[in-house]
Amino acid sequence: MRRLASAAASFAVVFGAITADGCHARRRGPTPLAGFSAPFVFGRFEVPADNPLTEESVELGRRLFYDRRLSGTDTVSCSTCHMQRLAFTDGRRTGIGVSGKPLAFNSMSLANLMWGAQRFFWNGRAATLEAQTLVPIQHPDEMAEDLQRLVAELSADDSYRALFAAAYGEISAGAISRALASFERTLISSNSRYDQFLRGEITLNAQEEWGRKLFTAHPDVKVSLRGGNCIDCHSQFLTSGFSTGLDGFSNNGLDDEELLQPGLQAVTGDPAHRGRFKAPTLRNIALTAPYMHDGRFATLEEVLLHYDRGIRNSSTLSPLIAEADNQSAGSQEGISLHLTEAEQGAIIAFLHTLTDEDFVTAERFSDPFVRK
Amino acid sequence: MTQSMKVAFLPMLVALLLSTAACTGKQEGPGTQSRSPESTAAARRNVEAGQGMVLLRGLPTLGTVHSVAIVELDPEAADFGAILQDFELPDLQLPLHHLYYSPTGRLYSTGLDPKCSLAELGLSRNAEGAAVIKGVTCLNTHGQQVGEDIIWHNVSGKEYMFVTFMGGTGLDQADCGSIGVFDPQTNAVIKIIEARKGKGAKGAPFLMYPHGMSAYQDRMVVTSTVHPDLATGVGNGITVVDLNTLKPIQNIVVEDAKPVGFPSSPVEVLFVRPSIVPGVAPAVLVNTMFGFETWKIPYNEAAKSFGVPAKVHDGAKAGTGVPLEFYGNDTELFVSHALPGIVKRYRLSSLPELVSSGNDIKAEAGAHHMIFYPSASGRKLIAVQNNLLNLGKAADGDPTDVDFIAKVNDHSITVHDLQSGERLAKLSFKDRYKKGVENVEALFGSGFVHHH
Repeated sequence: MRRLASAAASFAVVFGAITADGCHARRRGPTPLAGFSAPFVFGRFEVPADNPLTEESVELGRRLFYDRRLSGTDTVSCSTCHMQRLAFTDGRRTGIGVSGKPLAFNSMSLANLMWGAQRFFWNGRAATLEAQTLVPIQHPDEMAEDLQRLVAELSADDSYRALFAAAYGEISAGAISRALASFERTLISSNSRYDQFLRGEITLNAQEEWGRKLFTAHPDVKVSLRGGNCIDCHSQFLTSGFSTGLDGFSNNGLDDEELLQPGLQAVTGDPAHRGRFKAPTLRNIALTAPYMHDGRFATLEEVLLHYDRGIRNSSTLSPLIAEADNQSAGSQEGISLHLTEAEQGAIIAFLHTLTDEDFVTAERFSDPFVRK
Repeated sequence: MTQSMKVAFLPMLVALLLSTAACTGKQEGPGTQSRSPESTAAARRNVEAGQGMVLLRGLPTLGTVHSVAIVELDPEAADFGAILQDFELPDLQLPLHHLYYSPTGRLYSTGLDPKCSLAELGLSRNAEGAAVIKGVTCLNTHGQQVGEDIIWHNVSGKEYMFVTFMGGTGLDQADCGSIGVFDPQTNAVIKIIEARKGKGAKGAPFLMYPHGMSAYQDRMVVTSTVHPDLATGVGNGITVVDLNTLKPIQNIVVEDAKPVGFPSSPVEVLFVRPSIVPGVAPAVLVNTMFGFETWKIPYNEAAKSFGVPAKVHDGAKAGTGVPLEFYGNDTELFVSHALPGIVKRYRLSSLPELVSSGNDIKAEAGAHHMIFYPSASGRKLIAVQNNLLNLGKAADGDPTDVDFIAKVNDHSITVHDLQSGERLAKLSFKDRYKKGVENVEALFGSGFVHHH
């Protein structure tokens, strides 16, 4: 039944791609993505010149994202670990793919990927979104697919032949990666209550507004400014890490020196990058538990407790974390934000305003193989 | 402006203009460097750091209409000076006046047209990531006219958007002027602060021709500049507003020599405060447009009282006139002087005293607003918008002509190296686009740290 539906879709695509000026089909150029709009305050983004956002590439990428044929066993798709209803995470400490073994990292949310640090995965091991897409497909524990075999499999499908022809003119590993990246670039979360607040459409309640102020403040006891210190790693509007250089990767004090995992150092080889992981977007954070690169915290309350009094010191600990304190120097408690319970509650209330119901229910992001 | 005022003002301005360095208005090309093809992806993403948002005034005899535009201002860009988007405002008789980004990233503009004294601009991004002006929504000001400056300030835990309206609730009032207090989320008017000099008891605090404003804790200071018709009256002091009650409580005169025979016309004001200079004893700096002076007024934070004003810059002696704006970065304060068209720079850490931090930046006649930004290669830049008011010239047969003001309108933006002041490029909007340039703001982010 699924194949029949695909065939019908392919007919429509092929029909649309053929001109009527003769017996030879002529391929039109892809259609620039219509109706695209992103919030100005998210900042400039860049789409690779050889992979512009088009109607065809995004639609193809969406189908590939949800297609289990991308795994060697035809049992796992990208959406297995990146479920829309969980803001494209999976609710597990770490993902589980075709091998059934727990993977090394927590499944990252896929929201607003065009902004923030432009290296991908928790340790930044992919330099582009296109490169990122092929890594899980080939990983033996994740999807365990051979790219040549995948290309052959997709080439045998009429609907994919038409979709690839319209989007890229060919079926190839490169086209697969570009299509997946295109779809993922359109996963823009921008209609949370926080977004509505930024647009002036709503007012946050008192607790949420308090939390917003704490979120955006680095504590400064000299001027009696209390802060949650969140904004030092999670930018004001995007709530993601920063895009300049490797600023979007931080050691946020999860482990002592001897337990530090390589993190970004695995990519750069630089010992100063040991224990630094990507600061993720906090969009839809209330839906994406558990938290951190290894999913060690089950709740937002645990996360706040970590930042408040659980910071482990090490040589690469972010200095912005190490010196952030809402009390005067001289505390014997080690590194601590010294937030009150009420302040932690306010920050959590604010984090809940980042939930975007449109994002997790929008049909354009949903599984195209599911019958409505 | 009455004819007698024009006659009195003109000789002084002519003298000052003659004493300035030659400003030929010659169109200078962009810098010789172009963007390196080896630029990193991150640098390319930051390309818009060199772009500006400008308010343009159509010049009637040149057949152009008012607009808001995005313009390339990086002298290293091959398309320096190109307008990337021009959003025309054909329904407005008078242009928008001054752009401000709110703390939550919304873009506002004050306006001179009674139909649009305050507006919010809609911005978005297209599929290439470029900024797009989507629309301009004129806001209900409850009749307040001639919007000038905007600040956002927190009073007792509540955030307000304050807007000065130099025309208040009616230009027919000789003593017009108001401050609109707006809900920063809904843009609704919460209160109109109005205290007309002619309506209150003798000696009662008043608010007249409000323009510049700055706030610290629960005190706001507001300048009294000039009646918007430039003829009916000129102010010579500042008004202190108690933000607890939202009422004027004191007037302080800042006036001395009257170098052009007019009242001093205070125009912009900066409340120097600890958030700008750590540990500073708060004080107010005031530029007087027709007094050519900068004044310092000490503030006793404990007593909430203001001290005796003292002159800290005397333009008549220094050869500068029409001081206008205060802009600061992390280390310096910059003050624009429309005559001879320079920006003076001071050590931020020495404020409220004005201690020079370097040579003047030589812009053009009418030096006014400015922005700070990096070039593609990372060079630190300052761009200066050179226009006092974008009124036309008699030579153009322009019906908006006001002779003396035309002489301080270069209709340009000059771009300089921030450290050396070296001029790197000039964009003449009148030559290239047949428009005047009313205001400039960095496209994304203010580009400055302290302004009001």
